[in-house]
Amino acid sequence: MAHAEAYKDPGTPEEQTRRTFMANAVLALGGVIGLGLAIPLVTSLIPPNDANADPWSPLTPDEIAALKKATDNKPVKVTFMLHESNGYFGAVDLEQFFWAIRADEATMRKKRPQLFEGIEKVPYPVVNLGFVVFSPICPHLGCKYTWTDSINKFACPCHGSQFTNVGEHVAGPALRGLDPLPLRDFQGKVQVEWIEYKQNTPDHIILKVG
Amino acid sequence: MLTWLDQRTGLVTLTKDFLTEDVPGGASYWYAFGSATLFALILQIATGIFLCFFYAPSTSTAWESTDYLIKHVPAGALVLSLHYWGASAMIAFMTMHLLQGLLWGAYKKPRELQWIVGVLLFILTLVLGLTGYLLPWDLNALLASKVAIQIAGSAPILGPAILSFLQDGSGIGTLTINRFFGIHVWLVPALLVGLVGLHLAIFRWNGPAGPPIDEAPKLKPGRFWPDQMFMDTVLSFAMFVIVVALAVFAPAPFDAKADPNNTQFVPYPAWYFLALYALLDVVGKFPPAIVQISTLFATIIMPGVLVALLIVLPFIDRNPSRRPSRRPWILGITALTIVGAIGLSFFGQYNVVEGQVARGLVGGTAGNAATTGGSPQIETQPGNNANGGGATAGGPGSATAGATVYTTNCSSCHAANGQGTPSVAPPLAGNDVVTGDPQKVIGIVVNGLNGKITVKGQEWNGTMPPWKGTLTNKQIADVVTYIRSSWGNKAPPVTEADVAKAAGGK
Repeated sequence: MAHAEAYKDPGTPEEQTRRTFMANAVLALGGVIGLGLAIPLVTSLIPPNDANADPWSPLTPDEIAALKKATDNKPVKVTFMLHESNGYFGAVDLEQFFWAIRADEATMRKKRPQLFEGIEKVPYPVVNLGFVVFSPICPHLGCKYTWTDSINKFACPCHGSQFTNVGEHVAGPALRGLDPLPLRDFQGKVQVEWIEYKQNTPDHIILKVG
Repeated sequence: MLTWLDQRTGLVTLTKDFLTEDVPGGASYWYAFGSATLFALILQIATGIFLCFFYAPSTSTAWESTDYLIKHVPAGALVLSLHYWGASAMIAFMTMHLLQGLLWGAYKKPRELQWIVGVLLFILTLVLGLTGYLLPWDLNALLASKVAIQIAGSAPILGPAILSFLQDGSGIGTLTINRFFGIHVWLVPALLVGLVGLHLAIFRWNGPAGPPIDEAPKLKPGRFWPDQMFMDTVLSFAMFVIVVALAVFAPAPFDAKADPNNTQFVPYPAWYFLALYALLDVVGKFPPAIVQISTLFATIIMPGVLVALLIVLPFIDRNPSRRPSRRPWILGITALTIVGAIGLSFFGQYNVVEGQVARGLVGGTAGNAATTGGSPQIETQPGNNANGGGATAGGPGSATAGATVYTTNCSSCHAANGQGTPSVAPPLAGNDVVTGDPQKVIGIVVNGLNGKITVKGQEWNGTMPPWKGTLTNKQIADVVTYIRSSWGNKAPPVTEADVAKAAGGK
């Protein structure tokens, strides 16, 4: 059938002006619709700010007993319950753990001076209650490393980073040593503060507290 | 830039070709209903994709994730409400588009197949409305969908197969939500998008039908771009503004979580199913001898025949004229159907409101039941709990009578042995709230309980419905006495006066 018959006659100048207006109006109204839709849709993707109000997790008597088994040479693994919000499941207690050794401030300043001064400096006290507590997250790409008796080091299964008992980086691709976590005695209760640092950077950039 | 793209893809030429289309007799707002429907479909797909980022289909997460969306996700309630009102807009404009095609005889040669594809699109869109209704898994979702599923299951021959497909055999449960989700989110949208493409391709082949006169093809042609496109955009924009305004000022209704044992809630259908709902009600009042056959007629036969008639219409109505004055039969039947549907819709709406008033429920009306997000639809009127019971006010409850009340009303969630059901209802055996302060446990039975609680070291986040209005004070005293003295619990009985106090205090 006949096609585009109407387009053969360019029309009067007045008609042409009118058509320019209509074409622009289509684009403008379309743009307003697109924006009006994009704003609520993109807004919905912003993570809701329902982060845990209290970043400190208490340790039970059993967990404190496990912590106390740490020596200054051999670290211990201590599990605890971390209170976390999990979308529409709400707040849940998830099992989490950290590694701990006994140490004093002078030893740590000697063995890991970068934690106290310079680019690797952490914004929290390193030694608390006579312990140093390490986040279980490998500072390379976030796998969970483990203490390996045969080499007397922490070793990460994913890419082979190794750390001494005080968390000093000695082998593998990690860019910094293990990250200490704050520990405190709050009104007679021992509590640990969960902090996640950005991985694969030499400095300590806080991503999440609690 | 555009030349570069066109040389390699031909997309610019294709778009230009698509837009340079003749419109018989010039552009008109009368031709904009179809494009408005298409715009509503795009709106639904866009908002639907974002809802999928938050929604989780299962009995233990569907309501919870919707609740989370409404209460915690930024603009979540707005996106949900846009989808809710967008559905209404799509069905409204599609109905107008279909009626116009009917009244203007646009289904006639050579557009028979375009018409049939259009009718299929109409049916698929109604299926979307129906399946989307169950997904929030609130009281209305469950009870209204139950009615719809039962109707589908009552169809002759195919009924049982349809029923077992929709429910996955074992009643409305978590797999039903999954099936409805799969149908609503993948199956029907995929079919719909394909058929819309076909509808448009055939439309381009035949060109627009033009006004309902037999000389339409000879009319002086107008331009699609930008003349008709401008009017299409203006109408779509108007629709968008209305949908946004409705979404902001009348958010999508969201009731308490689905509870198969709720005996108070009056389900309300979407406005586009009100006519069928009312018809079902009317035939239900027929004499018992014919009620079964008339119900079958109202729910299956009549809608089925109407749809079949719409599909074969181009082949029945062989009258070549498109002038309304020369097609009295078709127009007469159409007018009768419209008047009937509108009348029945009003009657259905009236019934919903009556039902809610009769049961002492304060709530919105069916078409615009716009309770604000999260707040339950049911608000039992205070002082409405005496409900025919409690002649001997003040006496202690009877554990024997309470056992019967328990078996009938409580055991499906709290279990016959009082051990509860994981992630649904906490155990009552060894539960120190049950055996503790009588006012506290009675208060929970009377007023229900929502939100997080900890029972025997475990966290629960279910919904206990309020029982006042359903159970008498005597029955509540009986059942509380029973749970306080069973499964190893040893707490003194409670009295009807205790119940009256707890109920009155709220």
